[in-house]
Amino acid sequence: MASVIARSIIMKQHSGAHRLSFATSIKIKSCYSSYAASPKEKSPENYTRYHEVSSENWKFVERLRPHLLVPSYPTDRNYASDWIPPSDTPPNLPYFVKRTKNFMVPVYLNFEEVRNARKITIIRHIEGDIWALEQAIKSHLENVTKKPVVSRVHEVAMHIKFRGDYVNEVKKWLMNAGF
Amino acid sequence: MFTATRPPLPIISSRKLAFPPKFKIPRQVWVSNMDTVEEEKLGLIDLHPEVFAERPRLDIIHENVRWQQLYRHVSYAHTKMSYEVRGGGRKPRPQKGSGRSRHGSIRSPIWVGGGVVHGPRSPKPYFYMLGFNARLNGLRSTLSAKLAQDDLHIVESLDIPTDDPKYLEALVEERGWGPSVLFVDDHDIMPLNITAASDAYGHYNLMPVYGLNVFSMLKHTTLVMTLSAVERLEERILFHLNRNDAAEATAKYKLSSV
Repeated sequence: MASVIARSIIMKQHSGAHRLSFATSIKIKSCYSSYAASPKEKSPENYTRYHEVSSENWKFVERLRPHLLVPSYPTDRNYASDWIPPSDTPPNLPYFVKRTKNFMVPVYLNFEEVRNARKITIIRHIEGDIWALEQAIKSHLENVTKKPVVSRVHEVAMHIKFRGDYVNEVKKWLMNAGF
Repeated sequence: MFTATRPPLPIISSRKLAFPPKFKIPRQVWVSNMDTVEEEKLGLIDLHPEVFAERPRLDIIHENVRWQQLYRHVSYAHTKMSYEVRGGGRKPRPQKGSGRSRHGSIRSPIWVGGGVVHGPRSPKPYFYMLGFNARLNGLRSTLSAKLAQDDLHIVESLDIPTDDPKYLEALVEERGWGPSVLFVDDHDIMPLNITAASDAYGHYNLMPVYGLNVFSMLKHTTLVMTLSAVERLEERILFHLNRNDAAEATAKYKLSSV
């Protein structure tokens, strides 16, 4: 690096005063974007020395870097929120609701009409007997709200929709069931 | 005719799955050889259920096939508008006096031989990018369907003993692999013999794993993958299913980001 800077200074000094001699004497053409025309690497003593400060402090850098993959949840503490982790054994039911990759229960609130504020509760990631799950959740919601609940089962996409905002009730039901 | 010398079987008996599935059982497949015409089973391996045992979504498979066919399509149909049709610059007759209807040009759209108003305008590209998850789940659905329908075979490697096309044909016929076979390997430079042998047939095709796509998998009856291709494919798909920065990958595709 120092030699490169020195070389460029020399070129500048020469180019003004001794134009003819510069053109014939020094013909340096370094094109750093091309492999063939760029100067080749010299031995290590031509470059700035470096020394390691501390390798045990690298952990402070590492813990700031973003995770590539979703890290697992800690199992050794109580959680301040309503969230509970999925159970280690699968519930003995004919259906299964898989958690998302961030370990959240896959229940969402959709607004499906442009002019109305129609709220739809959607449950995704369903496997197994989707009609049995729909029956179970529907009867639970009707018990809780004392009102009829309208639902739609999509067998191809494997999701269930309920008309209304029952996100929290459904999430609680699923978490208590062990999903 | 070709007999292979190899150590006592099974050579491959286990495979460690990345992101071990919690409640789903891995699917087991035989690993075959390519050195002899008759099939020899070299071992039994596990395949990850989230890649190879997903419930096939026919609508997503259809979306992928439609996208693959349509994104490269350009329509060259073209019709001329009024100003492009030859002639029609002059007012045909004076505005008043003739007793006939008034017109400004003989090439207006209401005239026979006039321009077309909302006709096709060439060239019209039909390019669009299908969403990231639609493409990912398309691969998962198709691989699962292939495995479930007994059209997926795993081989140790694509090294065959001769470059004779008849060897490859005999091998495929003997094993009951379909009329068309897609051989998938990890590296894009394939062994010489299979390249020469499959060159004679249009229905035996070689593909690196990064080129794997829904349309090709459906077009070919049988899908034959090497072990290293399966490893690479699983690693990539499982990474995308478990990555932390999915927002970046699933963001809207921008043609130019300036």
